[in-house]
Amino acid sequence: MNEAERSAYDGGERVLLHMTAPSREDFDVPYHDLGPQHEAPMLALVAGVHGDELNGVFVLSRLASFLRKVVAGERAGATLLRRVLVVPAVNVLGVNTRSRNWPFDGTDVNRMFPGYDGGETTQRIAAALLELTTAARWRIDIHSSNVDFEELPQVRLYAPSGEEREAARWLGLPAVVERPATPPFHATLASAWRERGGGALVIQAGYAGSMQPLHCERLFRALVDFFERAGLLIGVRLAEPEEDVHFFGPRHSFPIISEHAGWFVSRLEVGQWLQAGEMVGTIYDGFSGELRSEVHTPISGLVSGIRRQPLLCEGDLVARILSRQEVGDVADTYLMGHGQ
Amino acid sequence: MRIRQEVFFALELPYRERLVLERTIYQGGGGPRVAVVSGIHGDELEGLFVCHRLAASLERLGKERPDALLGQVELYPALNPLGLDTLQRAMPIYGVDLNRNFPGHRAGLLPHRVADAAMRALAGASLVVDIHASNIYLREIPQVRIAKAFEATLLRLARDMNLDLIWVHGAATVLENTIAHSLNTIGTPCLVVEMGVGMRVTPVFAEQVVIGILHAWQALGVLAEDLEIEPNAHAPLIAHDGNVHYLNAEVSGLFVPSAAHWMALGKGQLLGRIVSPLRGEVLAEVRSPVEGVLFTLREYPLVYEGSLLARIMETQR
Repeated sequence: MNEAERSAYDGGERVLLHMTAPSREDFDVPYHDLGPQHEAPMLALVAGVHGDELNGVFVLSRLASFLRKVVAGERAGATLLRRVLVVPAVNVLGVNTRSRNWPFDGTDVNRMFPGYDGGETTQRIAAALLELTTAARWRIDIHSSNVDFEELPQVRLYAPSGEEREAARWLGLPAVVERPATPPFHATLASAWRERGGGALVIQAGYAGSMQPLHCERLFRALVDFFERAGLLIGVRLAEPEEDVHFFGPRHSFPIISEHAGWFVSRLEVGQWLQAGEMVGTIYDGFSGELRSEVHTPISGLVSGIRRQPLLCEGDLVARILSRQEVGDVADTYLMGHGQ
Repeated sequence: MRIRQEVFFALELPYRERLVLERTIYQGGGGPRVAVVSGIHGDELEGLFVCHRLAASLERLGKERPDALLGQVELYPALNPLGLDTLQRAMPIYGVDLNRNFPGHRAGLLPHRVADAAMRALAGASLVVDIHASNIYLREIPQVRIAKAFEATLLRLARDMNLDLIWVHGAATVLENTIAHSLNTIGTPCLVVEMGVGMRVTPVFAEQVVIGILHAWQALGVLAEDLEIEPNAHAPLIAHDGNVHYLNAEVSGLFVPSAAHWMALGKGQLLGRIVSPLRGEVLAEVRSPVEGVLFTLREYPLVYEGSLLARIMETQR
């Protein structure tokens, strides 16, 4: 962006959708449109499709602030070379009312794609978001599991192309996990992106209902790395060591399911590597307080997710291990439908 | 006739209690096996009342004509008992729609396990009727919804079920994980009945659907041919994606209908108004775009832009 363009630049705040409300003031779904305005967007970043997934909302708002400073020339030597769209929160009312779904009718916005501009409220939101972001060469949708389960910051790919595998590496997150594009994935934003060509990545980081600052910092760094490696941004280098990126195929993900109910307690952190037989956590009887069982991992691998909710039903997921060997089964395909 | 009430699925909850799913089985001769399921959504109660009325009919039959039950009837009134008991549409704890988790998995989470147990219990039945009650927002005339892919098998079964409407609709990806789609995919015919409204019971609709289900069972040979059943009083209109019109709110506010449910409408006829709760202003008038019949009507007055107000089946082209 040259000096004349910079002076004419309005800060990039735009409105994706303006809607009336039944008994309060009108509301918008806002987004940031940053970088050279005369070209098609190279990247679209989306978060807050679920209103309780706060890590992505916070990171994208901070990233927009950072990019605005770059565009305004306040970051010496840094230049945003390509146009970027940033939608920190799609489900605005959900964020403000701490609701995962669209609060009025309880629909999951991420099951409404491709949407319809003359349809239900969430179909209209979905259609507008898809129309805006489809134009971008790369799109990234950021999620945070649900309120019960913490996910290691990771990239999820669904039946990906070779280009998507390569682009996933640019984020530098510790795990890239491939999943089949089975029915739980259908009707999601990422699925609609896939059907329209171009690159689509999903990021999972942390858990919903609150914010985890360490995951946010890692995510911020990952996105800046992506900008740099995709040729969107020059002149910025975050002084952090490169992490190893591990790829895991559709059958390399192992869910540890509890066959006991009770109170689940674990000291594990996501990102740890475990040997087969190591302890994952303990289950206590909720009434008597007696130890009911210890949970051990049957396989070695990376802890990509751990249960943070102590209340445990029979059949609940307590951890997910990513293995270098093929270990997964079809059950995990269903489990992956949750939190996304 | 043998009657037994039994647990077909149980699972431990975190603090002492168990989640238990029950069914009632009416066992007659060696004829076909049929089932009715309801309460997949915890805010839909109409199906529970239909199950009660069917149970009452069968129990009366057991006293008066036990020989007339040639096959086996299974009632599954409450597939989501935690949702029903806590007034939640979705499955409590998980917050997911049980009817988007079929066919489920034996080793999955609770919703997958419930779905798997239901699939195992119902597979192989000659007919499963899955009763829904729309949601708390919309009132539906008793109707059957059939996915186009299964039209050849299901339309024949649905025609004589005393319903007002049969809606043959195109594929929707979100419906792939429903109980009906999953059962039909494995060759177990499953009809989805929609009737009434969420969190309410509409006895007149229930009686209508009970008569229709009894006729369907008789046609399948579950009930004796000579058993007298009240005649069907309703013949269905056939709706499809080409003749169903959706009316969505173009502005947010309070929707106040001026037309009655299942009313014949002329083109341009007023259905209702969207008004402002803050001012005396009428924000929008809602008019029928076609000549037709009003088979879905909004029950919950508050609307956002896009909220569904009505569905009309066009009757003249």
